[in-house]
Parts: sequence; structure tokens; C-alpha cells
Amino acid sequence: MRTLTLTLSALMAMTGSASALAAEPDGSNRAAGNYVHGDFGPPRGDPIKAFLTEPPKVPAPTYRNYPAKVIVELEVIEKEMPISEGVTYTFWTFGGTVPGRFIRVRQGDTVEFHLKNNPNNKMPHNIDLHGVTGPGGGAASSFTAPGHESQFTFKALNQGIYVYHCATAPVGMHVANGMYGLILIEPPEGLAPVDHEYYVMQGDFYTTGKYREKGAQPFDMEKAIDEKPTYVLFNGAEGSLTGDKALTAKTGETVRLFIGNGGPNLVSSFHVIGEIFDRVQQEGGTKIQENVQTTLIPAGGAAIVEFHTEVPGSYVLVDHSIFRAFNKGALAILKVDGPPDKSIYSGKEVDSVYLGDRSAPNLAAVTKATKAASAGTLTKEDQIKAGQQLFTGTCSVCHQVNGEGLAGVFPPLAKSDLIAADPKRPVRILLQGLTGKVTVNGKDYNSVMPPMNQLNDDEVANIVTFVLNSWNNPGGRVSADEVAKVRAEGTAAKPAEH
Amino acid sequence: MFRHAMFGVLLAFCGTATVFGAELPGDSIYRLPVALVDQDGRGFSLADRGGKPQLVSMFYTSCQYVCPLIVETMKKTQRALPDADRAKLQVLLVSFDPTRDTPQRLHEVYAERHLDKSSWTLARTETPSVRKLAAVLDIQYRALANGEVNHSTALVLLDAQGRIVARTDKLGEIDPDFVAAVQSALRTR
Amino acid sequence: MKNAALLLAVATFSAHAADYVAVHGGTFASVLPADDKAADVNIAPYRLRSEPVTNAEFLAFVTAHPQWRRTQTARVFAEQRYLAHWSDDVTLGSNAAPDQPVVQVSWFAAQAFCENEGARLPTWNEWEFAAAADATRGDARKDPAWREAMLAWYARPNQTLANIGGVPNVYGARDLQGLIWEWVDDFNALLVASDSRDQNDPDRLKFCGAGALNLRDRENYAVLMRVAMLSSLKAADTTANLGFRCAKPGN
Repeated sequence: MRTLTLTLSALMAMTGSASALAAEPDGSNRAAGNYVHGDFGPPRGDPIKAFLTEPPKVPAPTYRNYPAKVIVELEVIEKEMPISEGVTYTFWTFGGTVPGRFIRVRQGDTVEFHLKNNPNNKMPHNIDLHGVTGPGGGAASSFTAPGHESQFTFKALNQGIYVYHCATAPVGMHVANGMYGLILIEPPEGLAPVDHEYYVMQGDFYTTGKYREKGAQPFDMEKAIDEKPTYVLFNGAEGSLTGDKALTAKTGETVRLFIGNGGPNLVSSFHVIGEIFDRVQQEGGTKIQENVQTTLIPAGGAAIVEFHTEVPGSYVLVDHSIFRAFNKGALAILKVDGPPDKSIYSGKEVDSVYLGDRSAPNLAAVTKATKAASAGTLTKEDQIKAGQQLFTGTCSVCHQVNGEGLAGVFPPLAKSDLIAADPKRPVRILLQGLTGKVTVNGKDYNSVMPPMNQLNDDEVANIVTFVLNSWNNPGGRVSADEVAKVRAEGTAAKPAEH
Repeated sequence: MFRHAMFGVLLAFCGTATVFGAELPGDSIYRLPVALVDQDGRGFSLADRGGKPQLVSMFYTSCQYVCPLIVETMKKTQRALPDADRAKLQVLLVSFDPTRDTPQRLHEVYAERHLDKSSWTLARTETPSVRKLAAVLDIQYRALANGEVNHSTALVLLDAQGRIVARTDKLGEIDPDFVAAVQSALRTR
Repeated sequence: MKNAALLLAVATFSAHAADYVAVHGGTFASVLPADDKAADVNIAPYRLRSEPVTNAEFLAFVTAHPQWRRTQTARVFAEQRYLAHWSDDVTLGSNAAPDQPVVQVSWFAAQAFCENEGARLPTWNEWEFAAAADATRGDARKDPAWREAMLAWYARPNQTLANIGGVPNVYGARDLQGLIWEWVDDFNALLVASDSRDQNDPDRLKFCGAGALNLRDRENYAVLMRVAMLSSLKAADTTANLGFRCAKPGN
């Protein structure tokens, strides 16, 4: 793969125009006193139509050593898409995706930018590219009504990885609805070849409903102003980069992530669990940092991280402000396949914990139970099967798949005397949480279990039914109505949002 | 007054739009019926200006800041042209403020600014037509409570048939691209 | 003969929509202040159409005034998408129900319709004043519910256009929100710098004196979005969500 890349770039260099082979001006081609750094002269050769990719793909390198005219066409599309399982949101998108299409050009290129506003859209839009030197980053020249197109031209004077976003009033709302993406302006010598390049962008989302509350959710401006997101996501949806949509690589390969943060509000503490970044261009700048565990990506900023894969497994990309990863969805997977190297890592894969309730096949029983419940035909077996899948996804992290808990830390659910004493108590614990000292099967535990606010009545009923019927617990079943009654009685303590 | 202007507008919209016998192109602004009065009290319609390329802009006489600059820039643009071309260019400035800018006031400004009789016209039209003319020229303006008018700046170049072929918002210095466009329009008749 | 029957049918459809309601006007805190700083605006009493103009009404207009038909209208007055959703010049067809507000109309076409009935487009202030009302209050803008109703429409992706017939507000006007964008007479007075983050950085040369609009009450982003939309348009433009209604001076 790597040798092929090198030959290709040599070939491109040879077939370029004669002037391309000559020493390239470094920006001093202007009249004396008019030096413009990054200006390599007028564009040469035929205009090139830029190939823009949908995330997480990245376009191939330009393989050019001369400045060209590049034509970029980007269409704004307002569309309703899933943001989480059973939850939809009206996104405003560049090119139909969140984040928008990835744009790749070279330093010194003259970019002719066409911004189209689909006739079916309601709102006017424009674009501000952080890589543009000029008023508003292009926003002033690209204000476009639905059914119209704007064009402006700029020279990409600075190399780097830059955010672009819509800057139409109210800007926060346009950005919060997903109007951001990345433009890579390659250094003149190009980036070093790697085996995989991927495009990931974090964003915070604000809905009037709670996290995972089903149905079409509208944007909530008050929450956005208060900076209290409902979702924090990579690439615009929960599960966008997990399960069969996970990023992939093999052992012994190099991976480069172009990782951006559209905001609108939060700063990201970007970390890949199980990996260390060999090279980081923090904030996309030119100086390299090495051996970094977690790097900060500002809202409206981006970074380039590179690492080499040694050992197979599922590597989890997170925002290490960790409640965002586990309670708001800021989680993606890089699946590395290949022969294990026990000298580097000998443990088993961590798949099951994270993938549990996110890949479609695993949720079959949950879907079946939901259908049965609305038809009035829900059986105890349906509940147990659905509860088991939900348990694996939500509870097994702490209480373990076998219900044994963790000695001294998390109480067991298996053959639990606490449950036997009051089989309805798990319902209250799920809804209200449990803090302080508690004795289970003769051992003391003093920990904090937060209320599981993301679970609805059906989910609580199914999980508790599963627990009651597993591991020598007393059996029985709990209905969604009973859960609703308990929910109405209790005063749930809200977890702190931040 | 309002009804007369409206009636005139409606009437003018009927029938084919022509200038000197030739059918006007679909994007010609001369298709917009605008009844104007110049600084000498003469009435004319916008379409009467057809047949020659024109520089058009909008202004008002009590404007302290930008409007004098508009006039100066238009003059500079004229001077940047070769002598032969300059004589062929017509300049039209229409007021945003017909209440204050009577033909008499326009006449005063004409003298104050030493404008060349052979090529310059200052004119006014009724309020609804001001809005329509600005709309067709893509000029924005807003009358403020204190009598001032906030407005965007545009020098618009029309060809002989009234199509907008170039525009600039550069004030103070001349816009070389715009001057080139003016020259080109004056050569192709 | 066919035209006469059509006109009769159209007249009965739209008798209700063609009603004008009286709006008393007065002093009003507009998002666009009168002196570009903070002063309230004074709005003279006016009458406003209770509903946007419908397809049926606009059809009657172009039937009687052929120069405003789709194939007859010059590009300087309406872009090529003018009435694109109608089957032909004088037939609505299946994509344009008679009681839907007419859309894909330019500012010039809208003005011509209004002038034909002795009216004109409402000014921004007149539209804003009437839209500030809800069913019980003249100025409901402090109520989050009022703002939410506007925002809910912006957030919904494009669906089939509904018919007129919304809940009347305190003046008896309907569908000022939640149905379509509406042209105003002075749409090109909304001097917003097209990069809306520049609000406090007036480019004095560009906007003669005071600089681009200083939108007061930025919290009212629901109205801000209306200003943004109108300021993105040129007079010959049309969009699939942009219609209009007419206004007359008060008696």
C-alpha cells in the first residue's frame, strides 16, 4: 500500500506541466514589498473539480506539487435523520451529512467555491471556512436564499486542518443543527503516507426531550444558551461509528484521524482508549507533539492525530469528559483486526461492554418487546429476553454479565438477599439511584449508583423482570404501569449536568 | 397621489416593453415603469434613458458622508476613461428622499457639485417608485426617524438596453475592473 | 366562458381570505430601532389582509392580467422558478391547492397583486407589529411559547404546504407565523451585513453613516431569522416557502 502511494506521487510529478517541475515560488513572486506567504503564484493547468467525501471517509491526497484552480460545490440540505435509536432530529447539513463533506486542497490553490441552497430548504445559509483569509471567512460573500447558489473565490494561503461552518443568524442554532465540517489544506510537500485516514467530528446537540427520549425532537435554544447538551456525539448520531459502522484497521498499520469539533459550545478532551497518539498536530498547527494520551480540541477547532496499531481489539474514541461518553453518546470505535501480540497486551477484547446495545442485531429482542407491548401481547419471556439485552448494554458494566458485581465496589445481583427481601426494590433503585451504605449477601457496599434517567418505563420493567428471573432470584415480573406509578411517587434526584 | 402613481404603474405594465422600437431584453431594468423629474423640472421615464450605456446610482442631498463620495467616485470613473469614450457615458443619480429632494434642491446640488450638463442628471421619483427602483438595482436603503437614510452603495453600469452589466461598491478610489467594464460597454453599442 | 366560471369559483373560495382587519398601530419596540440605536418606532394605523394570498386568488389575478403569467413575466421581475409548481400559466394542477398560500412569487409580482386591489405589501414594521400578537395579547413576544411556535416551524423540514385557516390573533389576522415567509414592502431596508456576526462593526462606507443594522433584542432570534431570510433575497427571487399578504392605510 505504501509503496504504491510513493510510485503514484512520483508519476504525478512527472506528468505535471513543465513549469510544475521548476522550483516553485514560495510566496515571494509578488512585487517587492507585496510578499504574501503561502501564495505560490497563479493556478496552473486545467481547473480541477474537487472530490468531496462523506464522513468518515477522507479524499485521496492531491498528489500535486503546483497550485491549481479547484472547484468546490457544496449543497446545503435540511433533512430529518436519526440522532439515536428511535429519536430523530431535523439537521441542517452541508452535503446531506453531519459533519459536512470533507474538502481537501493544497496550500496555494485557488478555490472557486459554489454554495448551493437546496430549493426545498426553508432557511438562508452561508459558509465561513476557517482556512479562508477574507471577510467572514467567506460568509459575507456566500449568503444564499433557498433555491439559489453563491460563488466566491479564495486562495488557500495557510496549510492546516480547518473547520467550516454556517454563519447565518442565529449562528449558534445553525451550528447546533450540524452545519460544520473540515477542510484540509495540505502542506506543499503533502502529508506523509499512512495506511488509513479517517474523518471524525464531535458536536453537542440540544433537544427539548431528554437523552434518548423517543420521537422527533426539536432544537432547544434555552439549553444551548445554558450550554446543557442532551447529546454529545461523533459524526452526528449515536452509533454512527460503532458496530458494523466502526472504523477499521489491521495490526501493524498507521492511522491518521482528522478530528474536528464543531461545538457549538463544548471543548473536547479527545482520547482513544488503549492507544497513545504518536504524533499530534494540536489545533491543526504545524508543530508536532508526540506521545500524547488526550488532546484538547477547541469548539470550532480541529487536530490531526496519528498512531500505529500494534494489538487487535476495539479502541474506543471518547471525549474524556467522561459522562459525555457514557451518558450522552460521545463514543466511537476503531476495530483493529490481526494476530494478537501477547508481548504487548495479553488481555481479552473489550467489545461486548460497549457494543452491547448499539449494533442492530443485538436489539432484536428489545424491538420485539416494544412491538408486543404496544399490541398488548407482551409475555414474561419477551420481557426477560429484552431485559437481558438492555442489562448487557447498561448494567453489566458494573454488575457484570453474570450479576456477580465487583467485590467491595458494586454489589452482586445474583441470588441477592436485598432483592429477595423486596423484589420491587430494584424498580426504585433504577429510578432514584442508590447512595450510601448497603449490605448485600453479608458484605457492605458504600458507593453511588446514579438514577438511570435514560431508561423509560418499559425498559425498567424489562430489566427488573430479567434480574428477578436470573441467578436464583425470586422470579416474578414487573409491568411498565407499575414502574410508572413508582416514578410518579418518588422524588428523583437529578444528576449534576455540566 | 398614491392612487395616481399606482394607476400609472399598472397602466405602464400593459403592452410590450420597447425602447426605440426594439423589444427590450427580459433582464432590462427599463421594463420597470418609473416616472422621474430632473433638476430642471423636466419629466421623463426611466426607459427614456435607453440607447446609451449609463452609470446609475441612488443618493440623497442631505447625506453628509457617503453621497458626496458617490458623486466624486462617479466623476473619477468618468475621468479614468479615454476622452472619446467619456463623451458617450451618461450618469443618472436618483434620490432616496423625494420629500426633501425637490427639483429645486436637485438644481442647487447640481451647481454645488459642478456637474457636467451634457452627461449628468439628478432626478427624483415618487416614494413607491423609489423602492421599486432600488429593488431592481439591488440597492438597500432604510429611512431613519431623523431624516437620514441608511443605504448600501452601488455604482451600477447599464448597457444600452438597460441590462445591468457591472457594479461596484468601491468608494473613494476607482475600481479598475469596473472601469474596464464601462469601457467595454461603451465600445459595443 | 370558462374563465368567467373559474373566476366565480375562485371568488367564492377566497372571499374569506380577502378580508382586511384593522390594526391600530402605535409605539412599538421593533427589532430594527427607528434611529438605528434604540428608539421605538411609530406605526400609523393600518389594515392588513387576514390571510396570505392564496393560489386561487393569484390565479384570478394572472387570468385577468396576462403580463404576470409565468411565461409572460420578464426575468427582471421574476426569476425562472416563478410559479414553477403550477401546471401551466392558468392552471393550478395537483401541486398547488387553491387554498394554499401562493408561493414561488417574486416581490414585483406580489406588489402588482396588491396594487391591483388598491393596496401594497405591508412594511416590515407592520408585519412585525401584527405578528407580535397571539390570540389574546397584542404583544406576546416575552412569552416563550410565542417564540417556540415560530421556532418549531423553522426546525421542521419542508413538508407539504398547509392551507390557510390558522388561529386568528387578537387583531383577527391569521397565519402570520408557522405557514410561510412573507414579503414586505421594504424587504431591502433590512440592511444586515450578510455576515451577521458583524453587527457591531459598522462598515461605514458600505452602509452610509450608521453602518449595518444593529439588531436590538438579539434574544428574539425567532424574529432575527425572519430578518435574515428577507435580507438574503433579491426582488426577483422566489422560494418554495415565500408568499405574501397585502396592507392598506388605516381609515
